Amino acid sequence: MQRLTPSSVYTGRMLTVFALIFVALPILSAVWFGMSAGGGSTWDHILHNRLLPYTLTTLIVLVLVGGLILAIALPCAWLVSMYSFPGRRVFEWALILPLAMPGYVMSYAWADLFGVAGPVQSALRSSTGMMARDYWFPDLFTVPGLSFILASTLFPYVYIIARAAFTTSSLATLEAARSLGVSGVGLFRRVGFPAARPAIVAGLALALMEAAADYGAANFLGIQTLGVGIVRAWSSFGEPATAARLALVLISIAFLFVILARVSKGHATTRQTSTRWLTPTRIALSGASRWAAFSLCATVLLVAFFIPLGRLLWLSLEVGTGSAPMLPPLIASLVLGLAGTVLALICALSFTLSTWLTRRVEWLPRLITTAGYAAPGVVLGLGALLLLKATGMGLSGAGAFVLLICIYASRFTAAGAEPMRAALMRAPQTLDYATRSLGGRGVRRLLQIDLPVLMPGALAGGLILFVEMIKELPATMMLRPLGMETLAVRANFYATDERLALATLPSLLITLAGLGPVLLLSWQLSKSGRVSA
Amino acid sequence: MTKHLTLPTLLIALLAFACSPAAPSSGSNAETVPEALTIYSSRHYDSDRTLYQTYEAKTGVKIQVREAGADQLLETMKAEGENSPADLIIAADAGGLWRFQSAGLTQAIADPELNALVPENLRQADGHWFGLAKRVRIVAYDPGRFSSEQVDQWLELADETKRGEICVRSSSNIYNLSLMAELITRIGSEDAGDWASGIVANMARNPQGGDTDQVRAVAAGECGIAIVNHYYWVRLATSASQADRAAAAATRIVVPRFPDGRGAHINITGAAVTASTAKKTLATDFIKFLLTNEGQALLTVETKELPILSSAALPEGVEALPPFKGGGTPLETLGENQAEAQRLYDLAGWN
Repeated sequence: MQRLTPSSVYTGRMLTVFALIFVALPILSAVWFGMSAGGGSTWDHILHNRLLPYTLTTLIVLVLVGGLILAIALPCAWLVSMYSFPGRRVFEWALILPLAMPGYVMSYAWADLFGVAGPVQSALRSSTGMMARDYWFPDLFTVPGLSFILASTLFPYVYIIARAAFTTSSLATLEAARSLGVSGVGLFRRVGFPAARPAIVAGLALALMEAAADYGAANFLGIQTLGVGIVRAWSSFGEPATAARLALVLISIAFLFVILARVSKGHATTRQTSTRWLTPTRIALSGASRWAAFSLCATVLLVAFFIPLGRLLWLSLEVGTGSAPMLPPLIASLVLGLAGTVLALICALSFTLSTWLTRRVEWLPRLITTAGYAAPGVVLGLGALLLLKATGMGLSGAGAFVLLICIYASRFTAAGAEPMRAALMRAPQTLDYATRSLGGRGVRRLLQIDLPVLMPGALAGGLILFVEMIKELPATMMLRPLGMETLAVRANFYATDERLALATLPSLLITLAGLGPVLLLSWQLSKSGRVSA
Repeated sequence: MTKHLTLPTLLIALLAFACSPAAPSSGSNAETVPEALTIYSSRHYDSDRTLYQTYEAKTGVKIQVREAGADQLLETMKAEGENSPADLIIAADAGGLWRFQSAGLTQAIADPELNALVPENLRQADGHWFGLAKRVRIVAYDPGRFSSEQVDQWLELADETKRGEICVRSSSNIYNLSLMAELITRIGSEDAGDWASGIVANMARNPQGGDTDQVRAVAAGECGIAIVNHYYWVRLATSASQADRAAAAATRIVVPRFPDGRGAHINITGAAVTASTAKKTLATDFIKFLLTNEGQALLTVETKELPILSSAALPEGVEALPPFKGGGTPLETLGENQAEAQRLYDLAGWN
C-alpha cells in the first residue's frame, strides 16, 4: 500500500471520476427517459408483437457475424504472423483496409453489384436467356447477407488484436511446441489460439457490439434488427422514449458479451516476461500451401474492400458527382473526428490508468463505456438532446460542436480503452515490480513508465477512434452545429434520396480519410511486430 | 512541482473546456448582418442549395439550414424550446408537418395571399402549414404481365390474382405509412389491416431497398408490380445512366385509385412557420417566394415533384404521368393515423 498520496494522484482520480460522469451522462439520460416515459400502447405493441422477432434476428445476425469474423480474421492473422508467402508483407497491413469503409456504404455497393437489376445478374440473364424468376441467386437482402456485410467491415478489429497477440505473446511456448513436433493447424489449435484467446474474445466483443448497434446496413437491406426497431419506434410511432427503452435490450445484450468475455478469460492471466517480446521466426511455406495462403488473403481483401470500392468508383465515373461542394464536409469530418478522438483518448486514458493503479472500480468504467458503445447513435443523440434541454441552449455554434464531440467520446471510448488495456496487460509484470521498488508513483510514474508502455495501445486506439468517428452517422446527423455537414451526412442524404451514384463521392472520401490513419495503424503494428526487447 | 502537475492540469482544462456550455454565437451581431432566416428542413437536394442562393441574391436575406430527418428535427426543436433558431420548417410529408403542429411548434398564418395560392386540400385549415409541391404514389408494372385496368385500384392489388407479383419497400418508410394512413381513413382499420395482409401474401420478395429498386426489379422480371412514388420512376426515365432509362422504359405507370373513384394517394412537401420565431413576416415571405413560378421550378427541377401552382413549369419527364385527381382526405389524417398504420403493418408481417 502506498504510504502517502501526492495531490497529483487526487487530481488524477478527480479527473477519472469527471470523465466517468461525462461519458455516462448521455446514456444515463436516455435510459432514464426510456424508463420514465417509454411506456404506453406503442411499447405494449412492440413488447407483444415485435420484441421477440427483433431480438432473435439480432442474435442470429450476431452469431453469424461472430462466426464469419473468426473464420476470416484468425486464419489471416495466423498466416501473416507465422508464415512467409507471396504478398505477405502487403497483406499484413492491407487486411486492415476494410475498417475504413462504413457498413452502410458496403451494403450500397454490394446491393448494386449483386442485386437483381445489377450488372452480375443482368449479365447472367442476358448470357443464359433466363428470366429473373427462373434461377436462384444468393440474396443479399437476408440475415446471412447482412451478416456478410457487417463481418467484412468489422473483421479487422479481431485481425488487429489477433495479429498483435500472435506476433508478440507466445514465442517461447511456440518454439517449445515446434521442437516437440507440433506444426500447422495443430500449432494454432493447441498453442497459438489458447494463448491469444482473451485478446481475441475482447476484440470480438467490440466488433459484435458495433454490429449490434448498426442501423444503416440493416435498414437498407430490410432486416428487422433491434437497431432498426429502435429507429422505427421513434420515426413511425413518433415515440423517442419508446426507442430509448428498446435500446436497453441492446445494451443488455452488450453487457452479456462483456460478461462472456470475462468468463472466457477466466483466471488465465497471460503476463509475459520481456524475453518473449520477440516475433517468432516465420516458416516459409512451400508449393501449394504458398498459393493457398496467398489466395485466402487475396480473396478476403478483394471481397471486403477492393470489389465494393471498385464498384463505387465505376458508378461515380458513370453518373458523375453532385453539384454540392465536398471540401467543407471533408474538413468538418476531419475536425470533428480529430477533436472527438482527443477527448475519447483522454477519457480512455484516465479509465485505463485508474484501473491499473487502483484496481477497484474496473467494472464501472467498463460497464459505462460498454453501454455507450452498444447504444445506437440515435439513442445517444436523444440523450444529448435531453441534456441540451436541461441547459436551455440552442443547438448551434460552439455549444453544438462540443456537445457532438462529447457524444463521440461517450459512444466510442470503449474502442479506445480496449487497445490501451491490452497494451498494459502485455507489459511484463516485472516492470511494475521494478517501478514500485524504485518508488515510482504519481505523475512521474505516469510520464516515465505508464505512458510509454501505453503508447502503442493509445496510438492504435486513437486511430480506431478517428476512423469510427468520421464514419459515425446518426448522432452527427442529429447534433451537428447549424450549417455544418460531414461526409457521412452528405453520403446519407444522397443515399436516402436513392441517388447511390452521387453518394459515391462522399463515401469514397470517408474511405480515403479513414485510409490514412488505417495505414498509419498498419505501419505501427508491423513495426511493433518487429520490435525486439 | 509545477512540472509534475502539468499533465493532469492540462487534461482537466481540456475536459472543462469540453464540458462548459459555450455561449450561443448568434444574436450579438444581429445588427451588422442584414437579415437571416433559419430553416429546419427534412429535404436534402442539391437544387435546394440553388434555391436558397437564388433567394439570398434576390433579397439579401441570409439563409441558414439544418437538414436532418423530420423526427430528429422535431426532437431537436423540442429540446431547444424557446431558444430554437428555427424560423421555418420544411418537411417532405404532411404527417411530419402534423407532428410539428401537434407538438405546438408551429403557428397559424392567416394570410389571404397564401390561402389563394395553395389549394384548400393542400394546406392546414388554420394555416399551420402550406403545401409547396405534391407527389402521388403510383404503380409501375410489367406490361407483359398486366394491363393498366388490372392494377389501377389500390384494393385490387391485394387480390389473389397478384400472388408473387408485388415489389414494395419496407413498411416503416413514410410513403407506405402515409398510404396506409389514408387507407385507414377511407376503409377503416380492420379492412386496411386485411389489405396489408393481402399485399404481404402477394409479395414477390421481402420488402427491401428503396423505391427505384422496386422499378428496377420489375424491369428485371423479378416482379410484375412495383409500388412507388411517381418521381422515382421519372428520375429513372430521365437518368444519365443508360441502364436506368432502360428500366423505366421496360415498365408502364398507372395512378391507382381508392374505392368509389375517390382519387389518388397524394402527399405534399410543405412549410410551416415556427411558433418561436421572431421573424414571422420574413418566414412568410420566403414561403411566398417558393410559391412563385421561379420558386416552384427550383423546388421541383431535381426532385421531379409536381408544382402546386398550375402556372409553374413542369419538371422534365413528369409529363409521362397519367392525369389523376386528389381524394379529399384531409392531409392531417396522414399524421394522425401514422402510428396505427405501422401497428397494422407490423401485425400483417410487412417488414
